[in-house]
Amino acid sequence: MSTSLPMTNPPLVCWNCHERAVGTHFCPSCGKVLQVPAKSDYFAMFEMPRKLWIEMGSLEQKFLQLSWKLHPDNFVNATPEEREISLKRSSELNDAYRTLRDPVARVEYLLAIEGSRKEGQNKQQAPPELLEEVFELNESLDELRGARASGGDTASLRQNLEAAEKHFEEKLSEVDGQLQTAAREWDKAVDESADETRRKGVMSKLNELLNRRSYIRNLVVNVQKELL
Amino acid sequence: MGRIVGIDLGTTNSLIGYVDAKTGLPKCIPGPAGSTLCPSIVSLDPDGSIIVGEPARRRLLTQPERTIYSVKRLMGRGPADVQSELKLFPFRIDPNSNHVIRVRLGERIFTPPEISSFILRELKNWAEAYFGETVDRAVITVPAYFNDAQRQATKDAGKLAGLEVLRLVNEPTAAALAYGLHEKPAAAGGKVAVYDLGGGTFDISVLKLIATNEGDIYQVLSTNGDTHLGGDDIDNLLQAFVHEQILQTDRIDFSPHGELAQELRKELIAVKHKLSETESVTLRFPLPNGKVFVHEFTRGALEALIRPVVDRTMAPVKQALADAHLKPGEMDEVVLVGGTTRTPLIRRTVQEFFDRKPHTELNPDEVVALGAAVQANILDRGVQNMLLLDVTPLSLGIETYGGAVAKVIPRNSTIPASAQELYTTGVDNQTGIDIHVLQGERELAKDCRSLARFILRVPPVPAGLPRIEVKFLIDANGILQVSAKDIRTGEQHTIEVQPSYGLNDNDIERMLEESIEYAEQDFAERQVIEARTEAESILAATAKALANPSAASLPGTERAKIDVFVAALREAVQGSDYKQIRRQIDELNQATEHLAELLMNSALQTALEGKKLAEV
Repeated sequence: MSTSLPMTNPPLVCWNCHERAVGTHFCPSCGKVLQVPAKSDYFAMFEMPRKLWIEMGSLEQKFLQLSWKLHPDNFVNATPEEREISLKRSSELNDAYRTLRDPVARVEYLLAIEGSRKEGQNKQQAPPELLEEVFELNESLDELRGARASGGDTASLRQNLEAAEKHFEEKLSEVDGQLQTAAREWDKAVDESADETRRKGVMSKLNELLNRRSYIRNLVVNVQKELL
Repeated sequence: MGRIVGIDLGTTNSLIGYVDAKTGLPKCIPGPAGSTLCPSIVSLDPDGSIIVGEPARRRLLTQPERTIYSVKRLMGRGPADVQSELKLFPFRIDPNSNHVIRVRLGERIFTPPEISSFILRELKNWAEAYFGETVDRAVITVPAYFNDAQRQATKDAGKLAGLEVLRLVNEPTAAALAYGLHEKPAAAGGKVAVYDLGGGTFDISVLKLIATNEGDIYQVLSTNGDTHLGGDDIDNLLQAFVHEQILQTDRIDFSPHGELAQELRKELIAVKHKLSETESVTLRFPLPNGKVFVHEFTRGALEALIRPVVDRTMAPVKQALADAHLKPGEMDEVVLVGGTTRTPLIRRTVQEFFDRKPHTELNPDEVVALGAAVQANILDRGVQNMLLLDVTPLSLGIETYGGAVAKVIPRNSTIPASAQELYTTGVDNQTGIDIHVLQGERELAKDCRSLARFILRVPPVPAGLPRIEVKFLIDANGILQVSAKDIRTGEQHTIEVQPSYGLNDNDIERMLEESIEYAEQDFAERQVIEARTEAESILAATAKALANPSAASLPGTERAKIDVFVAALREAVQGSDYKQIRRQIDELNQATEHLAELLMNSALQTALEGKKLAEV
């Protein structure tokens, strides 16, 4: 089903001159901006393989180059049809850049287009090895809220929570490190044209790490909110 | 097509600008009184005509109930939003206002976009008189932190004024364009902070300037602000302070927004302005009881009074920097925009925070309009050497189960931006899916700004079978568009989105019809009338001169020539081509030069040499 070879967009026919247009963004025969092909994805838009390590400098450069050409500012005096296409294409370009430059969003997106992203069955459920710490954290949060409501002393409780926040932030960077390692495994699998089983294995690992990350991240955000 | 102008539709003043083709530099266009500032004040004359700008300002004192200022504060807002404003601003909100505020001026009721359209139309007239041609396309600036409804209201105002609004540009971004910072070598790749405190709104934008082979890109990294924070708030503090003083000493209560309160406000604004230049100013204000209220204001006291306003700007500044992942010291340039930034306290505060002397070279009142003109020029000629990439100031979200909000487009996303969401049904034969779109950073729908609610129609089939992809797209103006597609059939749905706080198409249609009643005549029409009037006077003068006895010495050939041009001008006047009328006026003027000379009294001859007949 899915292929991870460098993708070029499937051939399509230019809406304007009806020539077969094999270019990515503009029709090679009439120069008009092309519709987004139905099967396009963010990696293909930047003419990049579906790999997780991206050189940020060249991503930005490509983004800026395409912005020059696709931005609606270029089409103010164009036909309504071209204006519409420009709006669609430049929004997709911006969406693609926003997604690919963020390492976590990039993994999520890759899994989504590879058909392997599965959100946690129950987002509220803690990963087993974190259960005890999460239990303690929730207790501290309750105590802080209670002390605040009754006007009691919150200083020591705040200190506890600050320590917990730091702890979970460390966990978060731990997961980020694991994500990076798994991402390298993915890229290697792509480079070596690995079989479906190996790819699935890496993807399921990435998927699990994403769920774990999102859980810990929620914890950190919740604690930060209480500490504000 | 006519030229594209740039308009700063401000809370206090509005301006219109263009880029001079010869110099390539932006310029503001002066009005009939010679100033480029058009006070954003609108008054309804008892005869039904609309008065805008400086003449309307005078009516603030004489006819406050027919006159409105700071209407920008009401744009895109609902009646519940503005309750706190009503204590401070003399807005007479119609009690029948529902989703759109309606304001009473005398015996008529208007929406904020209509009132703004009167200001835009006035500026359009300035530009048409200046260029001698029709102006029908514009770039209009809005506060960067304006939400969807406020932007849509501004676009509606443009439409009602007979302008095609090609782009809404964020004010701080426009200011950065006006400064042309990309031309400074130090700024290549540089980071710029624009601090924009106007009459009623505060914006902070952080930009990155990027030099590429194609040209320079102004990329906005983040923006933040407060659409209800500005010089008006300083004026309100001053006014409240003096009201309290007068209430204490003379037992005079100013609360009703009458003539006296407006008079005092005017004086206090003058005091505020002077305190930017001098250390102390004495206010002498005559009271109705015959006494005079005297108070010496020092700059120090003013600063103590307004510090809360200045402090309120700092939270958005910090948030914008955090969102751009930058520290205050990492800014290469800092730009101050908006009349309120003339206040020394603000200049000092900004300079200390960024540890950098801010740019103040351009007139802070004009800089936004100048930037709008630059963007208008870019749109007119196509992107050639400068491109602007702006962001959406607020996250776009969809209400989910339990009143929570799922963010689909995060704040500070480069626009245009879009997001797709897939919807299906929960029960068999369900025919509609309720969708609520919101804007804001809070997690619960009730704390965010409602943009629109609509029902997605689906065919009555078993639950879970429909698969409808809804696309939310924020265009380059920061305005939301919604479309839907049935994944199974590929069928495109059109969605009628009823804005939560805005005019719908029918409202606009009706207002467009009504606006004709208020519209001044079309530019060309006015030109024809003026040219005809002038033609009539020269024709009358010619007839009178030919009847004079001294005209007898005119050679026959010249007399015949004059007759030909008189006939030609008479014919031109019948038509409606003002350029043709003007040409014929010039021809006749030339043909009658000799006649004019003959008629001149010999004593006056030297003094009047070269004068046209009509002037004798």
